[in-house]
Amino acid sequence: MNSIIWLVAIPLLGALLCTVFPRLANRIGWMFAAGNMLAALLVMHTVSQEGAFHYVIGGWSQGLGIALFADSLTALMVVMSAIIALAVSIYSTAYFTDTKKQAFYWPLWLLLLTALNALFVSADLFNLYVTLELLGLAAAALTAMGGSKEALSAAIRYLLIGLIGSLTFLAGVVLVYTAYGTLDIAVLTQQFQNNKVSWAIATLMTLGLMIKAALLPMHFWLPPAHANAPAPVSAVLSALVVKAAIYLMLRLWPDIFYPLANIGISYVLGGLGAAAIMWGSYQALRAQRIKLLAAYSTVAQVGYLFLGLSLIIVLPDGELRHAVMVGVVLLALTHAFAKAALFLAAGVIMQRGGHDRISDLDGTAQTLPVTTFTLALACVALIGLPPSGAFLGKWQLLTVLLHEGLWFWIIVVLSGSLLSAAYAFRLLGHAFGKKNIPHKRLAIGLEELPALVLSLIATLVLAFASAPVAKFIQPLSGVSQ
Amino acid sequence: MENIAWSAFDVLLIAATLSLAWASLTTEHLRRAVIFFIAFGLLLSLIWLRLKAPDVALAEAAIGAGLTGALLLAAVADHQKPINKKPDQKFSLADFVANTFLNLLFIAFAIVFGAAYTFALNEVNDSRLTDIVFQHLPGTGVTNPVTGVLLDFRAYDTMLELAVLLAAALGVMAIGKTRRDFVKPGDMERGLSQWLIPTLIILSLYLLWAGANAPGGAFQAAALLAAAGVVMRLTGYVDGGLPQGIWLRVLLVSGVGGFLLVSLIMMFAGRIYFDYPESWAGSLILLIESMATISIAATLVVAYLCGQPDTWFGGQQKENKHAD
Amino acid sequence: MLIDQILYGLCGIVLFTFGLRIAFSPVHFLRRLLAINVAGAGLFLLLLSVAYRGFDQAPDAVPHALVLTGIVVAFSATALAVALARQLQNRDKENE
Repeated sequence: MNSIIWLVAIPLLGALLCTVFPRLANRIGWMFAAGNMLAALLVMHTVSQEGAFHYVIGGWSQGLGIALFADSLTALMVVMSAIIALAVSIYSTAYFTDTKKQAFYWPLWLLLLTALNALFVSADLFNLYVTLELLGLAAAALTAMGGSKEALSAAIRYLLIGLIGSLTFLAGVVLVYTAYGTLDIAVLTQQFQNNKVSWAIATLMTLGLMIKAALLPMHFWLPPAHANAPAPVSAVLSALVVKAAIYLMLRLWPDIFYPLANIGISYVLGGLGAAAIMWGSYQALRAQRIKLLAAYSTVAQVGYLFLGLSLIIVLPDGELRHAVMVGVVLLALTHAFAKAALFLAAGVIMQRGGHDRISDLDGTAQTLPVTTFTLALACVALIGLPPSGAFLGKWQLLTVLLHEGLWFWIIVVLSGSLLSAAYAFRLLGHAFGKKNIPHKRLAIGLEELPALVLSLIATLVLAFASAPVAKFIQPLSGVSQ
Repeated sequence: MENIAWSAFDVLLIAATLSLAWASLTTEHLRRAVIFFIAFGLLLSLIWLRLKAPDVALAEAAIGAGLTGALLLAAVADHQKPINKKPDQKFSLADFVANTFLNLLFIAFAIVFGAAYTFALNEVNDSRLTDIVFQHLPGTGVTNPVTGVLLDFRAYDTMLELAVLLAAALGVMAIGKTRRDFVKPGDMERGLSQWLIPTLIILSLYLLWAGANAPGGAFQAAALLAAAGVVMRLTGYVDGGLPQGIWLRVLLVSGVGGFLLVSLIMMFAGRIYFDYPESWAGSLILLIESMATISIAATLVVAYLCGQPDTWFGGQQKENKHAD
Repeated sequence: MLIDQILYGLCGIVLFTFGLRIAFSPVHFLRRLLAINVAGAGLFLLLLSVAYRGFDQAPDAVPHALVLTGIVVAFSATALAVALARQLQNRDKENE
């Protein structure tokens, strides 16, 4: 019961302490990230023992108080965030050396983590809006800490577009309250009907979430923001913040909006997803900097996830839908670990070399062998080569697409993977390029380790864990249970 | 007869509000736009009063129109550019088509949204959550239902909202230092501030105390207190009345901290998170509200100062407290 | 369902839509910020119209609390946006 609360309370407490004691912020920061990991594991343990659970804060009757909820999907998201958060935190202790910067980075970062956790466990629509706002504000502020003019202007754009997205989502919430008299997701799920008002609600909320997830055509804010933020921030933005909006889509459509499911939406979302895959991968191929490549790769990945989502919406409850669900979750998890690893590695390269231009990467393999290895692993996971979790995820997706005879989407997924292979090998080709450098002793910096661990998880751990994960993901029983 | 008078009033109010919004968003001068926006905010408070929402009206007038307006006016000053005569823009067909298309799109959106809203109003019984709220209100120790919802039923949301405010303040401070420039106060400003600031403080304390049983509460009180801080800043106190160093840091976090502490203590005491014992509920709410009020006020002032105060890390205030 | 609810509600929808329309146009950043604030105000108006139950009946308190939260959140976002813009402006001045 209480473990859900710790997920929100621990990072929040950490943020408060880091604000009051800026000189100790480094230490407090990663310790609370570790505490957050414990809370996440506790939640996973509880869910695996007792199944999904539901909890109204303050003990008030449902609808009066705010409800929290955790099922297997929640647990997976929370543990994924916790692991990445810990890795990023450890990396950050080495990345930010200026106390003045640390004083603001750590509280903001921990507030972002709070927002993320609160979002994953929330079962109240207005509470979701508040968490989305906290997430957006903290993320924009952190992006601006990149310091450069590009970072500032990217941060403003991110903030304003994020606000538009949240407001659109809020418009949907207002309609929900008008039509159904409740803000509680469980109550709403039971009462939701298929009528014109419900369509308006679904459209508004989906539009808002599409903006937050950077689905084409609302994606243009993402590349500059992710590319110009400080490396640990970019890692979190691509790996976690984007996933929050997708998680919400997974929560809303199969459960609440189920009465509205129809093939039309599937085509719209799927089509936009396909466009995102092609456009994102193409731009990644053309990117001149590692971080820009990674950012566009995220745009493409969001496309895969929406493609999977479009299938989940229309398929009836059953084995096929569960297979797609597993695929989407595996893709999301793998991408999170791999992308975070990629950004952290890029951060290391930038700190050592002063830049992250791809064409000037020659010699990286010799000076930073561990980081180059990390890059390679991350690329394997991003392309979707075996044995990474992404391979299994795409396999699941393709199997279902084949079964349904959706040839067009199959071609899109395969072309997307080909394009990813292209830009990944371009990156690796330069990184492994030889340069005349005096041979140095092999040295591993502390800051290279987190990225390495993350990429290992993406490629190996998830591969072995995929079967247990698949079993763990209960068929979406919904918040109403 | 009365009904017609009210309807006429409503129509006038709405017409004025929409006109101000239009003026604010379409006028060419930015400063005028901000001033129209402030007026828009004030008319909005009137609408809130008309819709029987005095708590919201207080907050809107103080925060939405007042503090936001002050913030934006200062921002406009940042962006002053020499007035260039813009060359007459050539009529571009592509622009015109795009504009018209967008306009039509948004008009259609408004019509659909409006229709959905009108239909939705009919769907549920008018009282929605009102009955449940009033049914459980006695258990909260306050009689103002808005305070009950904010600080008891949905206290978790309020805690997160204070976290949003804190995040904004931290972000603002991370970006740069406070503004340096202000005009030296004259005699009138000094005289005004000498009675204005204490009045604002007393009003704020009243709103805080009264919030339990009448319109008012932490946010409104905090807004008035922040207004006092803004007045101080405008009359020469560079730090806007804020404390220094670690005390300022503690102050900023004590809003969220108060909520977190009380809720966790409840949890440790064996109750559910955020479950106040009935006999203590009223006092607990007042305690949280008091901490929240000064915390929110300080945060609002920091946000208005638009940067990191010199004393954030415990250093010395760089200019004289009262610029002479 | 009262006529006042519809009247003020539709006013709110007009504000929301108009605000978003301006926010999507190529305007000065400050005006875009104003537009977003106006759109938010439109939504608040919508919420309070839903809460209104008539001249002599107590209104629904939950939307009031939601709007209060919304006002504070909107201010926070505006403050951050203004600070970001100011710093960007400073950088531009330095480069001139």
